[in-house]
This record gives sequence, structure tokens and C-alpha cells, in this order.
Amino acid sequence: MNLDILQYGFMQRAFLVGILLAVIIPCIGVIVVFKRLSLIGDALSHTSLAGVAIGLIFGINPIVGAMAACLIAAFGIEAIRKKIPRYSELSIAIVLSVGVGLAGVLSGFVKNAATFNSFLFGSIVAISDFETALVVGISVLVFVAFIILYKELFYIAFDEQAAELSGVPVRLVNTIFTILTAVTVSVASRTVGALIVSSLMVVPVASAMVMARSYKQTVIWSVVYAVAATITGLFISYYAELKPGGTIVLTAVVLFLLALLIKWLRQIFRTAKMKGAANEST
Amino acid sequence: MPGECAIEVKNLSFGYSDVLLMEGVSFCVSKGDFAAVIGSNGTGKSTMIKLLLGLLAPSGGEIFLMGEALTSFHQFSKIGYVPQNSGSSAGTFPATAEEIVLSSLYSQIGFLRIPKKHHKKIVLDALESVGMKAHARSLISELSGGQQQRVMLARVLVNNPEILLLDEPTVGIDTGAVASLMEILHKLNIEKNVTILMVTHDLSHVAPYLNRVLCLSDRNFAEDSIPPELIVHAHAASHEFSHGHVHCAACEHEHDSEHCIACAHADENGVEL
Repeated sequence: MNLDILQYGFMQRAFLVGILLAVIIPCIGVIVVFKRLSLIGDALSHTSLAGVAIGLIFGINPIVGAMAACLIAAFGIEAIRKKIPRYSELSIAIVLSVGVGLAGVLSGFVKNAATFNSFLFGSIVAISDFETALVVGISVLVFVAFIILYKELFYIAFDEQAAELSGVPVRLVNTIFTILTAVTVSVASRTVGALIVSSLMVVPVASAMVMARSYKQTVIWSVVYAVAATITGLFISYYAELKPGGTIVLTAVVLFLLALLIKWLRQIFRTAKMKGAANEST
Repeated sequence: MPGECAIEVKNLSFGYSDVLLMEGVSFCVSKGDFAAVIGSNGTGKSTMIKLLLGLLAPSGGEIFLMGEALTSFHQFSKIGYVPQNSGSSAGTFPATAEEIVLSSLYSQIGFLRIPKKHHKKIVLDALESVGMKAHARSLISELSGGQQQRVMLARVLVNNPEILLLDEPTVGIDTGAVASLMEILHKLNIEKNVTILMVTHDLSHVAPYLNRVLCLSDRNFAEDSIPPELIVHAHAASHEFSHGHVHCAACEHEHDSEHCIACAHADENGVEL
């Protein structure tokens, strides 16, 4: 197999950044899905576009703008969620609306439309050294924090009330998790794209849930699926000359369908085996 | 003569918005009691449990747990709380019984610390005490309603609670599973002297194990102590309740089992029915 793809510096960077994000995005995604806030990635990534627009208008680094907007949006979601706990998913819809509205209005003032558009679907093969270093730094931070807070995040996702009664510093852990989510979404927006990051947050977790036999396995499988989708997606996009962000997400969806198919075939095989055993005994 | 109060409530009041739900409620659940809270829907039974845990703030009155005012109480690991429908709501979470019970050992493991081997042994012991050790590695979603509820009980038992607060633990599980759950609770109550306060509508299955019944009605507890012989009567009445209203031997009136207990008590204390 000709692996000339790996000879290019920009592709090496793309693989490094893509794999790192494929490790941390599902880590965030597992907690987000189990907290029943699957669409939070959508809300944050759309709001990050408003931050990108502000950054481009005022000459600030757009990633910094995206990060600030994501942080404000993430804490906004938490604040609204506490005000209306019975309809917590509405908090995401409200912030998503604000994000889309602001991004739409502000994009009209951006002079360089190409730069703004690169944040919509990402440009993983065109990222700078600074952006690579930023992704590496944030990935290490998010991964270490996720491992350290593993049992606290599990307990809060499973039963926030019981966690609080047991003495878990729920507010502190939630605040840390909100910051981690916001920074992850903002750096991922630049690479895989704002419109795609939420898919990477949810689809690998959905695939893992089909196969996993425990929470720990769900986390591990989510990361494995995301890394596999990223590597395969980058290869396909390079040789088929497709956009990498979209190809990665579509690969993740195909892996999800494959996981469903394998589960279905296993069930058929198991049922047939049981029927065979029952026939033998009679 | 009642013993030392494990749970003591003095002149408690609470309401949602402008609606007063309870007013001037006072009672004491002694150490080692196995008590039930009964009452019609909307009388505030579950609210009472949340008030006892400090999850809701009362508008007046005082609560004491293990002799200490709730406002300064911190030993919540000694209070086991199993919320309403906890088994079924946990049923969608992709975790094993072992992982779920281990999460409750937080107060023993500590913030940012990794569980050790002996913590896993505590978890398996707790699962064994509720007859679920064989299912330790099963996904909670693959267990029956009764099994899920037993895992939820194991989850609070890992911390050796002195008080158990259960909110309708028998809802949604079959008769056999209810009997099995009640036997486990009875054993805890007798052998480990755990004080149990349980909200229930299922008096027919629960009554044989109780030594006290708190009936919440008309914004207050009608009474907080019923002689055991009347509880046996209530048990019999509840069986008949499934066919409609029953004749209550204690007060010679026709009504459902819960009202029967309330008026039985009132009769016992000479209150006009």
C-alpha cells in the first residue's frame, strides 16, 4: 500500500490533531450523552461561530473568540438548566438559537468570508503550528482531567442528587466539565468544523453503547470508534479528494451502522444456537 | 415509651409557591423502627423525605437526624436514600451493577482518589447481601425491575447506613420481588438495627414488617404510632381493598385501607371520628 500521505507535514499534523481530538471529544461526549444533553455540542459549536466572527471583525485570534463564546454559552446553558430543571433540554435550544442568530448577523460584518467558512466545516489539513500546539495542550489537559475526575463524573452523570448527598463537590466538578467542554468544542471547530464537532461527540458514543458491556467499556469503545473514524476518514478524504471533516463524520456513521449490523447478526446467531440446543435436548 | 429519635421533626411546615402542603408536622422515628409513611397522592409523602434530606428547605420548623439539627448535619453517608423509580430510571444507563454500587462508595474513597481492591470487596459484599452478587457484571438495563431495585438498595448499603429512607421502593415490581425486597429490609432492621422510613402505597405487602405507620393527611400526620395488632388489621383490610372499599373493623366505617389505619389510630386515642 502506498503511504505517501504520511510524507507530507500537513498530513502528519492532521493525523496528530485528528487522533488527539478523537480521544478527547468522545470522553466529553460520554458524559454529555449520559446527562441527556446530547445536543450541547451543537449549541456550543454554533455559538463558537459567533465568537469566530467577533474575532475576525475585531482582529482577535478567532480560536480565542470561539473559546470565549463557548465558555459563555456553556455557563449560560448550566444557568438556564438550573432555572428550569424539568425542561433542561430547553436550555440548549435557547442557547443554540442565540448562537445561530448571532453568528448569522455577525458573519455579515466579516470581510474575509473564506476564513469564516473554514470554521463551518473545519480545515484539519490547513492548521498552523500554533493551532497544533493549542490542540496538543488542550487535549492533554482534557484527557488528564477526565481520568482524574472519572469516578466523580460517572457519579454525577448517573445520579447528581446522590452524588451531592455523598459529598461530591458537584458544582466544582460541573464547572470544570463545562470549561473542558467549551475549550474542546472551540478547538475542534477549527479542525473538524463547527457543524461537525457535535456529531463526533455523539456518534462514537452511540456506536460504543451498541457493543459495550459496562460504562468503562463504553468510554474505551467510544474512543476506539472515534480514532478509527478519524484515521479512516482522513485516508478516504485524501485519496478521494473529499473534505476531511465531513468524511470523518460520515465514516463514524458507517461504523455505527456496522456496530448495529454486528449486534443484529450476533443476536440471530445466538437465537439459532439456542434453538439448536433446545432441539437436541428434545 | 419510644427510644432515642433517629429522625425527629418538630412543627414542620412546607409549601410550594402559595400552596401550603404541610403545617405543624411533628413526629419521632425511634432508632431501630421500621416505619411507613402513608397517605393519599399529593399529601407530601415524597416531599417529606426530601425535606429530611435537606433537598428542600422547610418554611418553618426543625428537623433532627441522629440527634443533630439538619442545618449542621454532615453525615449523609450514614443516611441511605433510595428515590422513587430509581431502579427503572437507572435502567437506561449503560453501567454494570458493580459500577453503580461502587460509585456510592465515594465518601469512603474520597475526592480524586482511585478505588482500591478492598472497595471492590465491599461492593461485592453489598451485592451479596441483596442476593445480586451473581449479577455484579450485568448491565443494569438487562436486569428485571425487582433486581434493579435490589441493586439500588445495595448502592446505599455499601456505606452501612444507620437510617434508610425509601420512596415507594415496591412500585413497578412483581409480588415475588416485593416479598424478597421486604425480607432483605426486615433482616437489615432486625440484625443491624437500621432505622427504616418508607413511603408506600403497597401496605398489603409491607404491613407485616412494620412497627409504626405515619399517616399524612390534611396537611399533618394523623398519628405516628399504631399498635401492632391494628397494623395486622390494616394488612387484612388492604387485601380486600383491591376489590373496592372495605369495612374497617377499627372504626366501623367503609373506606380504603389508608383511611382505615388513620381512623383506627384516632379511635385508639379517643379522637372523634
